[in-house]
Amino acid sequence: MQAEPSQISDNDLLHAVARGDESALAACYDRYRLILFGLILRILNDRQEAEDVLQEVFLQVWRRAGDFDEARGRAFTWLATIARSRALDRLRAAGSRARLAEEAAQEPGDEIGDAALDALNSEKSAIVRNALAELTDEQRKVLLLAYFEGLTQTEIAERLGDPLGTVKTRMRSGLIKLRELLAQHAD
Amino acid sequence: MEHQDYQQLLFPHSLDALEVSEARELEAHLETCAECRAELIALRDDAALLAHTAEPAEPSPEVRARILESVRAERAVDRAGAMNDKVVTMRPRANWNVWTMGLRIAAGLAFVALLMGLIVFWRREVKLRQEVAQLNRQLNTQQHELARDRDVLARQREALALLNSPDAKHMELAGSETAQNARGSFVYDQKTGKAVFLADGLPATPSDKAYELWFIPKGHSPMPGRIFTVDSSGHALLSEQMPADAIGNAVIAITLEPKRGSAVPTGAIYLSSPKS
Repeated sequence: MQAEPSQISDNDLLHAVARGDESALAACYDRYRLILFGLILRILNDRQEAEDVLQEVFLQVWRRAGDFDEARGRAFTWLATIARSRALDRLRAAGSRARLAEEAAQEPGDEIGDAALDALNSEKSAIVRNALAELTDEQRKVLLLAYFEGLTQTEIAERLGDPLGTVKTRMRSGLIKLRELLAQHAD
Repeated sequence: MEHQDYQQLLFPHSLDALEVSEARELEAHLETCAECRAELIALRDDAALLAHTAEPAEPSPEVRARILESVRAERAVDRAGAMNDKVVTMRPRANWNVWTMGLRIAAGLAFVALLMGLIVFWRREVKLRQEVAQLNRQLNTQQHELARDRDVLARQREALALLNSPDAKHMELAGSETAQNARGSFVYDQKTGKAVFLADGLPATPSDKAYELWFIPKGHSPMPGRIFTVDSSGHALLSEQMPADAIGNAVIAITLEPKRGSAVPTGAIYLSSPKS
């Protein structure tokens, strides 16, 4: 008997995509479209461009699923990495960093919104949001600038007007704390 | 640097936040240090969870359809490509005169230029592929970079497959008075609407502007295509998906627009295909 798509693990889903199973790709899309589109949209802030990138991401998943190796990280990490990289590439290509800089300068701290948490993975999402809420504002800001805007530590220091050493410390301590908090909620 | 110094670098590296030189040094260390490699995998798994802090959003349903359609079309191309080694010839039409002859020669020359451009890309692809292989050996955890490079190769391969398709149709774009040195080629697959656009000689894009591609089907208003900029030599190569309504009867035009693009053309025309 064949398992329902919702019961197939992420790893098995990607392995099936690697074997050329179109329905596995569709199931993968259905499972992760909300979170990945949310990620891309957050980076690009433009629905049409974000939809283009989402399409590119899943075509890449289709072509490159054979490269996925669970020994090198989770399936979600693999998917989110592709989505983030492609969205950041698009952002840089469009030269729209200036636009984002303006927006970030207006309200850098307002990062944790009241999300529609009924969406897929809402439990995971809540855990991450809660963990992030326990970091200091400074730690959180540094992590989110690196993740969603693709800034290096040097660029973050320039953006925030803080010494580079301070930014490095905040990034490290933020990640350590995040890891501890996430570990508490693991399984 | 000592092992514990590298350990400190793993944190920013999990967010790709190191400067290039630091990242390179760390990568060299990772080649020889299994402990750091494992640590980086764990850190990246944590960092990826930051995606969950973005507001989940619903893409329009057409995206799913487009993805599955592309996957099917790609399979068809793969299958056809396996059998199809013969050269595609374009059928000549009956009424030859000097004017159409000139156009045909110009089209032929541009087509050769497009092919040469693709060969250059293909060579670059071979080089890139070697680099990718080297990177792979150096650092298996850098898979996101690899994926990026490979995708470029895939696009180039896609463009080659398109040129080889029996359903390929080729259109020439001529520069307007605003851009007399510009020229462009637009090749598309009449069945799938997959397309490649190549432009040369376009003026440099001002920082607050971008070029936008338009499909203008006979008797319809213009439909927006991709937004792009050109490199310092006025060159651009992009892949495009032609709207179904535009296949077969549309004029292709390029205008200069505000850098986020426009819903209807507002700027001067730089390139356009002849009206059919």
